[in-house]
Amino acid sequence: MHIKALGLFIERRETDSAVIKTASLLIAIVAALGVSALLIRMWGANVGEAYSALFIGGFGDFKAIIDTLIRATPLIFTGLCAAVAFRAQIWNIGGEGQFLAGAMGAYLAITLFQGIPRPLLIVLTLIFAFLAGGFVAGLSAFLKNRFNVDVIVSTVMMNYIIEFALSLLLFTVWGDPNTFYPLSPFIPEESFFPMLIAKYRLHAGIILAVLAAFFAYLLVEKTPRGYELRAMGLNPIAARFKGIHPGRTLMWVLFISGGFAALGGAVELTGLTHRLRPEISLVFGFTGIIVAMLADLHPLGVVISGFLFGGLINGSFAMQVQTGVPVSIAYAIQAIILMFVLSASVLTRYSIRRAKDVD
Amino acid sequence: MLIDFLQPVIIISVFASTIRIATPVLLAALGELVTEKAGVLNMGVEGMMLTGAFAGFYFTYETGSLWAGVAGGMLAGAALSLVMAFMGITLRLNQTVIGLGMNLLASGLTFYWYRISYDIGGASGTPTVDIFPPLEIPFLGNIPYLGEIIFSQRLLTYIAFLMVPAVWFFLYRTKFGMALRGIGENPRAVDTKGISVRKYQYLAVMFGGMMAGLGGAFLPLGSTALFVTEITAGRGWLAIVLVIAGNWVPWRVMVAALVFAFLDAFQLQAQGLGMKVPFQIMLAMPYVAAILAMMSTRARSIAPAALGVPYARE
Repeated sequence: MHIKALGLFIERRETDSAVIKTASLLIAIVAALGVSALLIRMWGANVGEAYSALFIGGFGDFKAIIDTLIRATPLIFTGLCAAVAFRAQIWNIGGEGQFLAGAMGAYLAITLFQGIPRPLLIVLTLIFAFLAGGFVAGLSAFLKNRFNVDVIVSTVMMNYIIEFALSLLLFTVWGDPNTFYPLSPFIPEESFFPMLIAKYRLHAGIILAVLAAFFAYLLVEKTPRGYELRAMGLNPIAARFKGIHPGRTLMWVLFISGGFAALGGAVELTGLTHRLRPEISLVFGFTGIIVAMLADLHPLGVVISGFLFGGLINGSFAMQVQTGVPVSIAYAIQAIILMFVLSASVLTRYSIRRAKDVD
Repeated sequence: MLIDFLQPVIIISVFASTIRIATPVLLAALGELVTEKAGVLNMGVEGMMLTGAFAGFYFTYETGSLWAGVAGGMLAGAALSLVMAFMGITLRLNQTVIGLGMNLLASGLTFYWYRISYDIGGASGTPTVDIFPPLEIPFLGNIPYLGEIIFSQRLLTYIAFLMVPAVWFFLYRTKFGMALRGIGENPRAVDTKGISVRKYQYLAVMFGGMMAGLGGAFLPLGSTALFVTEITAGRGWLAIVLVIAGNWVPWRVMVAALVFAFLDAFQLQAQGLGMKVPFQIMLAMPYVAAILAMMSTRARSIAPAALGVPYARE
């Protein structure tokens, strides 16, 4: 497109530019915070006061940063879940259910293997969780391959089904007999995930999350399998001509994707809540989708965006205490950021140059 | 146990609730059908229904008028779909991703808006509205059984079911509708005839948003009398399933909606009769059924050929 009057020339960008991407991301976040300010005004709070409470609550001091790390841990796992699958254009919306399945898998391992040495038990909780989440997501791959069931629809439906399954278990065999609520008994101490700073309840889940992100990065960017995954994402038809089996790729990508979310569920149970309950996931699965999008589906970027969103959620509690703005605003802000980030991605597709440079 | 179901009173009640429960999903599914026929995949139906449900409740609660709620729900759905259309048609972003984004946006905004509008758990209790009363059709309402099942429903239910032939007529018997279907199959061909693909797609997406909003508004205004977060509970996703299960044909979509609604009505009645099946299994049934429905829908050839592909002229 040629805008003569301005002497500008707009053309499609051939390669991605990291600078442009970062700039458009920043523009999007600023715009989103601007729109969110209207929501804060609607409540009647002072915007500057609210945002500063939010920031200080999320990142203001050592304690806040520790709390943010704790909150970021499940978000990094569910973010990886979305990032890995979305890179292959596989729309796994089932992070929520897979996260719960992971917590259930870990709990099952604890009930089965009580009394075995602690390191072994912890490893088993992780393996059981990964398999549980991988199985739930893999089921959607099977349904797609065998019956052509849309992956989005089946993963969404599985979220509800898993939630009801967890509720059923907590009201029956896994329920704590001492309470009326759907809660499991506390898990034994030898199954607790190792603590980093016990005083602040910071468990080693964040280490596992960062390791998982590195693993995902190497897998996606540096291995032949990762090449298959990216090829599927760029052009599924061309991928098929290159000899990539779409059904098989769908299966392993979904399995690993579900496994990532599930590990998040496992460490949330063994590291933080220490008992199973329906609210063990505070919509981490859905927030993970936004976390992944904000990171441009890059596994290492997920660590950073997960940390930021962890701070946003934690900061919103401080904001509620100080200004009365309900914590639910965190979820609205997240979604508004997502919409602006998506819109801003258009900016990275085009470049503007002065016309005389072109001819 | 099953014998309890065979009493006329119970059967009438199950079928009457089937038709009531089908209303919101049918409205949303018909809207999604028109949207998809125009080649746009709206994955944000759930969010548009949720927004419609909140707006419907909000405006009725604030004004005391049910029709203000209905209008508010439709407008809210249309507003959200306008954002969707801008991003999916004008900016040509991935329609699946945007749809998912719309759902998260609706979820976050309604959650927040509800919290700041009402003092939940406060002294005044949960806010409620008076819902649409049943509207018995003269004469037809007196027919034994059928009168109670079909002709003693709420006005929005009649509208939903009348929309089935209306949507069919529009798509297959009007110039506008045929052009719309042409866009879903081959947008370039329609474009070369001088019809604005964008304009038609915008209108189709906004119609879908209005219908989803109306369907959502029916939940508080025709059924629950209150709003709760995530009140739609997957009904928007079900609407998408219904379009596929109904093979993009209006009356088949209606049949699919009735089948799902029957399952729901059945489980409600079973719980009422104290059946010894855990309630979680009952509640999970529609979601399992949605997967089963998708498994048995093998013939996809009838799906619009250009579905979900943003149209670019150059």
